[in-house]
Amino acid sequence: MAKSSPSPVETEPVVRRKGRRKASAAERSEDKTDLLGERSVELSRFYAGKIETVPKVPVRSLGDFALWYTPGVAAVSRAIQSEPDRSFDLTGRWNTIAIVTDGSRVLGLGDIGPTAALPVMEGKALLFKVLGGVDAIPVPIRVRSPEEFIATVEAMAPAFGGINLEDIASPKCFGILEELSKRLPIPVWHDDQLGTAAATVAGLLNALALTHRSVEDVRTVLLGAGAANLVTARLLLKLGHPADSLTLVDQKGVLHAEREDMDELELHNPWKFRIALATDGGGRTGDLAAAVEGADVLLAASTPNPDTVRPQHIRSMAKDPIVFALANPVPEIWPEVARSAGAAVVATGRSDFPNQVNNSLIFPAVFRGVLDARARSIPDEVVLAAAKELARGASRKGLTAQHILPTMEEPEVFPEIAAAVGDMAVLLGVARRTLTHDEFLERARALMGRPAQLVRALARAHLTAPMPPAKPRRRRTAAS
Amino acid sequence: MTGTEEKKGRSTGASETASVPIHLRPARETDLETLVPLLLRLKRLNEEFDPLLKVREDAETQARQILKFDLSNPKAVVLVAEGTGPDRGKVVGFVRAHVRERAFYAPEHEGVILDIYFLPLYRRRGVGEYVLGEVTTVLKGKGAGIVTAEFPAQNEIASRFYTKRGFRPITAVQARSL
Repeated sequence: MAKSSPSPVETEPVVRRKGRRKASAAERSEDKTDLLGERSVELSRFYAGKIETVPKVPVRSLGDFALWYTPGVAAVSRAIQSEPDRSFDLTGRWNTIAIVTDGSRVLGLGDIGPTAALPVMEGKALLFKVLGGVDAIPVPIRVRSPEEFIATVEAMAPAFGGINLEDIASPKCFGILEELSKRLPIPVWHDDQLGTAAATVAGLLNALALTHRSVEDVRTVLLGAGAANLVTARLLLKLGHPADSLTLVDQKGVLHAEREDMDELELHNPWKFRIALATDGGGRTGDLAAAVEGADVLLAASTPNPDTVRPQHIRSMAKDPIVFALANPVPEIWPEVARSAGAAVVATGRSDFPNQVNNSLIFPAVFRGVLDARARSIPDEVVLAAAKELARGASRKGLTAQHILPTMEEPEVFPEIAAAVGDMAVLLGVARRTLTHDEFLERARALMGRPAQLVRALARAHLTAPMPPAKPRRRRTAAS
Repeated sequence: MTGTEEKKGRSTGASETASVPIHLRPARETDLETLVPLLLRLKRLNEEFDPLLKVREDAETQARQILKFDLSNPKAVVLVAEGTGPDRGKVVGFVRAHVRERAFYAPEHEGVILDIYFLPLYRRRGVGEYVLGEVTTVLKGKGAGIVTAEFPAQNEIASRFYTKRGFRPITAVQARSL
C-alpha cells in the first residue's frame, strides 16, 4: 500500500472516504504536519544531527596545536584569569550562547523531558546560526526543580556570552528567567516570553498606526495569561498603555485583583498576580464577552481552538478592531471569520496567513545585537527597541492590513533590529563595548550574512550532503 | 477599640501611616456577610500550604457561626478594615484575635492573632504593620501580657512578617494523617 510522493513536503487535499467532504483548514494543517514529521524523521536519520563544530583557525600541522592548545594557550588563560572579561576577546565566548531547556513544555508536546527536546534545540541552534550568525549550543538538562535549573545554568555561564532559555513550563519559566537575569553577567532570554511578546508588540504598533490609534488611547484585551501574554501586558504598560484599559482574560475569566484565585496566584504565580494588581481587570469583571465589548484590540495567545473567539466577540468590539489570534497550529478564530465579523487587522502565528507573529523575526537579531554589545543583560527597553525596529521594518515597505510585520523573506530588517538593540544596550549602560549605530549595523550585516555563505560553500565542496529524496509515503491503514 | 480608631500609626510612625490606605474599626453584626467570604479566602489560602489544612465543605457555615460568636465574645477582637478614597466604606480586610488564659505560664493571658486577611490591593503599603499595632493595643487592653500569631507552618511570608517585628516561635504544632 505504498504511494510515491513527488515532492518531499507535498500536501494533498484530504479526501474522506464517506461523503467526499472537503477537508477543513484544521484537517489540512494536521495532514501537512504529519507529512512534515515523517520527512523530518527521515532526514534526522540521514544527517544524524543538524549542527557540528568546525575549526575557525588554520591547522597547518599538528605543530599548530602548540598555539591553539598547550603550551601556548596557558598564556591566554592567564590573561583571562587576571581579567575575566577578556574571555570575550580571546575566545569564542563573544558569539556563543547556550540553548537551555528542561524539556518541560516542548512545542505543543508538553513535558517530554530533556533528551526528547534535543532535536528541537538543535533546530533552534540552526536558526540562531543561519539567521543571526550566532553559535548556539543545545543544552537540554535533567533537573528536578527551578532552583536546580538556575544553579546548573549559573555553573555553565562562564562558557557563554548569553543564555537562551527554551521550552520551559509556565509559570516556573518566569522565576527562572528573573533569577538568572539577576545572577548572571550575560544576557538571558526566554523566547516564549520575550520573543513572542516583542513580535506581538511590533505587530500591534503597526496595526494601531494603520488604524490611526496609539497605545495610550486604546482598550486592549489579552486572552490567555501565559508566558507570552503576561510579558506582552508588561511591555504594553511600559509603552504607556493605561493600566485601567488593559484586561487579561484566562480560563477563569477576567483577571482582576479580587478574583477568588488571587491568593493562590500570589503563592504560585506572582507574575500573574502582579499584572492582576496592576491592571485590576481594566475595570472589567466577568468573561471574555464582557471584556471585549467596546475594546479596540484583542490579543489572543491561548489554546488552539478556532471557536475560542467568536464572531460576536469581534462584532461587539470598537470600530476597526484589531485581532491577533496567535495559538498554533490552530488560531483562536480563523482569520477569514474574524475579518467577516469586522476585524480591520488580523494576525496569527502561522506562515500561511498574512501577518505572522513569529519569534524568529526577533530572537536572532536580539542576540546579534546583545552579543555585539557584549551586553550584561536584556532589559525590557532593549526588547522594546527590537519591537519598534521590527515595526519600522514593515512600515518602510508600506503598511497594509495584510502587511503589518515583515516576513522571513525580508531579511534586510534583521541587522537593523540588531543595531537598534546594540544602541539601546549602550544607552542603558549594560554594554561592555560601545559601538556607533553604523558600526553595530555593519557588524550585524557581516555576521548575519556569513552563515549563508558558509552553507553555500560547504554544499559546493560536498561537505554537506545534498538532501536525499523523500521516501515513498505510506498510506495509513487500520493495520498500521 | 473606639478610642484607637483615629490613632493611625501610633505603632508604626506617622510618616508610614500617612499612606496606609485603610481605616480600622470594630466589626459590627452588619459586617457578618462581608466577613464570611474573606475568612473563607484566608482558609483556602491556608489550604495551599498544607493538605492537612483542607477546607471543610461546611466551612462557610462554620465561618458564619464563629464570626457571629466572636462579635459578642468579650475575649474576642474582630477589627474590620475599610478602604479609603474611592473605596471608602468598602470592607477590604479584617483581623480576628482571642485572649486566652495560660494555665502554667506567666504572663497568664495571651493575645492570639488567629486570622488576618486583606484583599490583594490592600496588602503592603504598611497595612500589615499598622493592623498588627492596632490589634496588639486592643489585646493589651483586654489583659494580654504577650501576643502570639497562628498561621500555617509553611507560610513563609507570614513567618518573615512576624519575625521582622520581634516575634519568635515558642511552641510548635506537628501533625500527621491518621
